Amino acid sequence: MKSVTRFYSLLLVTAALTSVSYGNVFQKSDKKNLDTLEERAFKQAAALVSPSVVRIQTVGGRDIVGKVLTPTGPTTGVVVSKDGYIISSAFNFVSSPASVLVELPDERRLPARIVATDRSKMLTLIKIDVSGLIPATPAEKKSVKIGQWAIAMGRTYNNDIPNISIGIVSALDRIWGKALQTDAKVSPVNYGGPLVDIHGKVMGILVPLSTRGKGATAGVEWYDSGIGFAIPMQDVYTAIERLKKGNDLHPGLMGLYFKGSGLLAGDAMIDRVRLDSPAANAGLKRGDLFVEIDGRKIIRQADVRHAIGGKYAGDTITVKVRRKDLIIEKKLTLIDKLRPYKSGFLGLLPTRVGTDDGKQPGVGVRRVFAESPAARVGLSPRDRITKFDGKVVQTATELLNLVSRMRPTTKTSIEFLSEGAKKTANIELAAIPDLVPVELPSVSIVPPKKKPEGVKVDRFQERLKKYEHDYWAYVPEDYNPSFQYSLLVWLHPKNDTMEADMLDLWKTICRHRGIILLAPKAKTGAWNSNESGFVKDLVDRFMQDYSIDPKRVVLHSYAESAQFAFQLAFQFRALFKGVAVASAPVRKLPQENNPEFRLQFYLSCGEQDPVLKDVKKSVERLRKMEYPLVMTTIPDEKHDYPSVDILLEIARWIDSLDRI
Amino acid sequence: MRIGLFRNRSFLFFIPKNLLIALMPVMFLSAGRKTTAGPRSDAIGKNLTRVVKIYGAGGIRKLHAYSTGLIVRSDGYIVTVWSHVLDTEEVTVVLNDGRRFQAKIHGAEPQLDIAVLKIVKKVQDLPFFDLSKAVNVSVGTRVLGLSNMFKVATGDEPASILHGVVAAKTKLSARRGVFDFPYDGLVYIVDAITNNPGAGGGALITRSGDLVGMIGKELKNRESNTWVNYAYPISELRETIDSIISGKFVSKEKKPDEDENPTRYIASDFGMVLLPDVLYRTPAYIDHVVSGSEASKAKLKEDDLVLFVNDELIQSVKELQKQLGKLEAGDTLRLVVRRGMKLVTLELKVRKKSANTIKKQ
Repeated sequence: MKSVTRFYSLLLVTAALTSVSYGNVFQKSDKKNLDTLEERAFKQAAALVSPSVVRIQTVGGRDIVGKVLTPTGPTTGVVVSKDGYIISSAFNFVSSPASVLVELPDERRLPARIVATDRSKMLTLIKIDVSGLIPATPAEKKSVKIGQWAIAMGRTYNNDIPNISIGIVSALDRIWGKALQTDAKVSPVNYGGPLVDIHGKVMGILVPLSTRGKGATAGVEWYDSGIGFAIPMQDVYTAIERLKKGNDLHPGLMGLYFKGSGLLAGDAMIDRVRLDSPAANAGLKRGDLFVEIDGRKIIRQADVRHAIGGKYAGDTITVKVRRKDLIIEKKLTLIDKLRPYKSGFLGLLPTRVGTDDGKQPGVGVRRVFAESPAARVGLSPRDRITKFDGKVVQTATELLNLVSRMRPTTKTSIEFLSEGAKKTANIELAAIPDLVPVELPSVSIVPPKKKPEGVKVDRFQERLKKYEHDYWAYVPEDYNPSFQYSLLVWLHPKNDTMEADMLDLWKTICRHRGIILLAPKAKTGAWNSNESGFVKDLVDRFMQDYSIDPKRVVLHSYAESAQFAFQLAFQFRALFKGVAVASAPVRKLPQENNPEFRLQFYLSCGEQDPVLKDVKKSVERLRKMEYPLVMTTIPDEKHDYPSVDILLEIARWIDSLDRI
Repeated sequence: MRIGLFRNRSFLFFIPKNLLIALMPVMFLSAGRKTTAGPRSDAIGKNLTRVVKIYGAGGIRKLHAYSTGLIVRSDGYIVTVWSHVLDTEEVTVVLNDGRRFQAKIHGAEPQLDIAVLKIVKKVQDLPFFDLSKAVNVSVGTRVLGLSNMFKVATGDEPASILHGVVAAKTKLSARRGVFDFPYDGLVYIVDAITNNPGAGGGALITRSGDLVGMIGKELKNRESNTWVNYAYPISELRETIDSIISGKFVSKEKKPDEDENPTRYIASDFGMVLLPDVLYRTPAYIDHVVSGSEASKAKLKEDDLVLFVNDELIQSVKELQKQLGKLEAGDTLRLVVRRGMKLVTLELKVRKKSANTIKKQ
């Protein structure tokens, strides 16, 4: 056997090399000899693996994926079984080709099918119907040492001899423990090919990877730079066994967030746990501190990523967290995708403070929306809900918390009092509608018997001392603290406070709907992101000084200042419950939808507005995140502040933010 | 992918003046010995004296105004790559030791991408590469690239040296349209980033100092969207260089009337009806076969996917039509199609078209 003799001659060479690199006393002729021997060893190692390195051609497929022009190949694969399994890089199939073709080193061409892809390690398994292939010999993972020679191979330039690049193993356990790193040149000409040691054994499969990016093309920007990656062969075989079943493998997720981000962030203390996620189901909580995952000690956040970097969705891990003085051990099964949370909806408006004395049992119903689950079970205004999902409810907030923590289509039970009679019904939750009710009677606020002391009403202008910042506000003249008001925080566009116009447009609406208008002013004319502290403190102060319903605190803006409104809304989730914005897209998306901090959107845009396309894109993205959102396009309108009929709709929307 | 390129290149900027010493430890990584002297460094030093820096036209629209050249005769003949840098009456040539000369184009062969310069002043005894002693090497051979890349060496300094191995020996023009490249011979692909701006015309040598090739211009591989590092084997250029120097050279001009993309035949001429070409890369699936046609006689079937036409890989309907366009009456059209998990080879006769159906472009 040719390959056997090759192998023995190779052993001789490597034996020579080993002795040479440790011995320090040898003559010039030895050095020359060493060079020759080394070079010969490279060539022989490559020749030894060569029969297992195949060329892959693809036909059809998309030309651009993301922003990357997809290469048309050819590309490389490595034979891993006699009966035709070939492993390659997922990058090579990013274009979703119509057909895949394998060219064997003996010139045979065979059609191939894609079996499955490992989306974590970016490997794709393909299969050809053939027997008698020569699988590559893997190097033991333990045997791979930093600094040893590494030969990167592809079969893209020629089919007769593979192309090679020589470097060393630069690092182990890179990219969250997934890959070996090499300084051999790695690029589309050898992605999918083997990284070979000097004995001709395959250490890993070359793939583009990135510490930050995701997807098959992430990391391609590092091609030929001296930073190349290969998935260790042992891990490749583990993946192959699972890929053979035909299902793609995905990175495993726990569904939790840490405070701060970035690679240098500190303690692995949980900041948020996603509802319905493996972490939530295992009972992990905010404030838990990771100490161990699968026996691996955890100190920093990066350690967590290292520990689960190589895990797939479906894998079960054992975690230990410290909660106060206790160490708690939990098992959790990772998943591939965290479903965005969508809150359920009953379809009613509860009675409000001032109209409900709170002395009767249950939650009063102010209005029932047509065709809603509430309407279907026969709820009507003035009924009182006493139990939901088997739990006694006494306040609207309690009821909202229960309802919004269930997904639409959840079936449960409801108990209510109707004209003194107790009724129970089964109810199926709906989703929050993306329309504003066409009609919504306002809650009539009666003027106070005695004018409240020490609170300013009507239009007034002041300065928040701590910040040296001006603001103006409008509080309806007949302000009555026994009722709760909505708070509309207006963030003016650049260099124009629009004070007179705003007052003119909103005054009547504010009186009618019980809205307090608060208008902070930017220091330099345009909003600066570091002015968020001022706005927050100002809003907090108003919440203290006036009777305001925390469920109806809304940011309102127009054009470019809207980005500041979104920033505030996403930064202070506990404070702001709605954002109503005209003529502006959302440039930076919020965190995931979370019923604990309900946030609703109202976006409007003129049909002739140049930003309309972007606004529509934002709507799509926010809806994908399952945020309740209303979008109104205004016919014939250009880039302008909306007219009164739209403002009336915004007011109705604000007045329905406490819907359940 | 240009970003990738800059990444590659930016780290090359810090190569210090005394390249030789700086790179030695890397070159003898495994041995890790002192390497201040020895036959190898002598060989490199000698070769560095034979490489010149060339300064000419460019400098606008991000075109570099410099390149590299190889002295090939003691009386001042220099070989370099054919490029915009030579687009001027005279270029300035700076030797290893800082000597400056004006040089003129003596002759060129754009088809091989080479030009020969002659130093205007009468010179003699210049160090030079003896082209007759150039060697051929195999894949895996360690090589050094000597060039004026990025203009880092400006005065009496030697050119910069990079090390790597021969990654492949291949024809870049094997598939049309992949490379914007007139040369159709073999090239050496190198795993070092040898083909930087200004490196064109540099030397590729073995570790023992034998000349292997001349570094080419920057070139992008359209198949993989990556930059290619390559050199022309001296053995492929030598004859032409010699005949240019001796003044006997006649350029192999392309026939001007040759149509690059003829459309002599189209799929329907064979009774093949393809899927509508709606995508950039629509796969060449057969929608149906006209009965009684050449395709039907060859038993081509509905849903077959055409993969090869006369051994050219077909990645889209456009490529299929391009290949069919090149056929001539009397040829045999050899198709390899994918039918399920099988590849089937079919042969169709290319018949003469009747006069009124011949399409003119």
